Amino acid sequence: MNAPIGLDPASMAERIQAEVQRAIQRSIKGVEYIASSGPSLGSTPKDVLHVRGTMSLYHYRPIADEIYRVPVLIVMATTNRGYILDMIPGQSFIEFLLKRGYDVYMLDWTAPRPEEKCLRMEDYVLDFIPDCIRRVQQDSGESDVTVIGYCFGGVLSLLYGSIFPDGPIKNLICFTTPIDFHEMKLFRNFSDRRYFDVDRLVDSIGNVPPEMILSSFEMLRPASRAAGQVQLWENIWNDEYVKSYRMFDRWATDTLPLAGEYFRAITKDLMWDNKLFNGTMSVGGRPADISRIKVPILHAVAEHDHIVPYDAAKHLIAKVGSADKEEVMLKGGHVSLVAGANAIKRLWPKLDSWLGGRSI
Amino acid sequence: MADKGNDPVAIWQAMIGEIEKGFNSFANQAMASPEFSKVVNQVGGATVSAQKQFGELMEKYLVSMNLPSRAQVVGMAERLQSIEGQLNEIKAMLHQMQSASGSADTGSAGALRPPRTRRPHPPGKAQK
Repeated sequence: MNAPIGLDPASMAERIQAEVQRAIQRSIKGVEYIASSGPSLGSTPKDVLHVRGTMSLYHYRPIADEIYRVPVLIVMATTNRGYILDMIPGQSFIEFLLKRGYDVYMLDWTAPRPEEKCLRMEDYVLDFIPDCIRRVQQDSGESDVTVIGYCFGGVLSLLYGSIFPDGPIKNLICFTTPIDFHEMKLFRNFSDRRYFDVDRLVDSIGNVPPEMILSSFEMLRPASRAAGQVQLWENIWNDEYVKSYRMFDRWATDTLPLAGEYFRAITKDLMWDNKLFNGTMSVGGRPADISRIKVPILHAVAEHDHIVPYDAAKHLIAKVGSADKEEVMLKGGHVSLVAGANAIKRLWPKLDSWLGGRSI
Repeated sequence: MADKGNDPVAIWQAMIGEIEKGFNSFANQAMASPEFSKVVNQVGGATVSAQKQFGELMEKYLVSMNLPSRAQVVGMAERLQSIEGQLNEIKAMLHQMQSASGSADTGSAGALRPPRTRRPHPPGKAQK
């Protein structure tokens, strides 16, 4: 009997053989997967410069023979750990920056303790960030600092930059930073003021638990975790795939709780009243209108970002007062924009070419 | 190799991808409704109240069993963190003293820093 059109019996036999081999590999590697831990993450050599409560400031040891004059401070999102930017050698944004001659610091967060439920937006914007900038200035001996904010770290950096427009920020880089929170439609619906009693939540439990934050992220793509598990099983014979899966899965599930008062402010001022977009935001009684920002700014957004959709991020560049400003849209999602193979090819070289000339 | 259009593995993978997309899209539409928000927040509100009451009950139980409560363990962790913080402060002060005593540009680890003289490479020239 003839094979159906397009089916070559020889190649099918080859394909079946490959699949049988993969099935055997799956069984062996599946056991290895369960028995072993994932790769070690965040291992680029660094020194802890300062720790205060939920805030940690790191300095990464330079590896280039000469470095740019202006140091770089990365402000991490308050919901996630900073090691997304320092996965493993060869896939680390931090390592890339160090090799390209930047002096890199990171403001990273740990889980706020129960008594830190009282931390407010002003503690982050008017205390933690200025404190870190001051320490970066002291440590580097330079007055100018470039700030890079990832996701909500970008929002905090924008708020800081709009309250202190005269410095010391020299350049501002935002990755996937929302400013129009009414365009984060699902998050907005989850926190609909008619049904979501944020006061009751915060007053009852204090800090918002990480499970709740993680669930709200996962609800944006409810089938993706299950589909990811199926894909993992199919590719478990592939060491590179498994390594990458474990790195990103570990990071994604390593979500941080949010300080209660801070979460209350995010919900009321940003989600409900959209104050950052409307230009009516204030922090600790100080106006935080992003049109006051005049420094060079680069905003990198992802084409397929399901957490911060483009509509929520697209007005940033139009609204800042800087003359030197650029938005770059790259292929990828919220995380693959900054980490992984996609970022290595696209975002990192773009950032280097933009920042190098502005760091002297 | 077999044509991708006839490869059962490729077909299976494409099918999984399509199911994922379809389900996500369907769920997103459902979750965008006010009814969804109402139900989720009602359930969430009840869970929060129950969690709070359970926590208080558990606290009493642990006291009766002469076991440390979560608050006490957290208290110990806070004291440890406070000690760590003070050590970091001392370390930072030592670095400052070291920097003040020497003229060389030293870093946070006390090691010599490279000079801040780097310039971007001209366009088209590959960097290391």
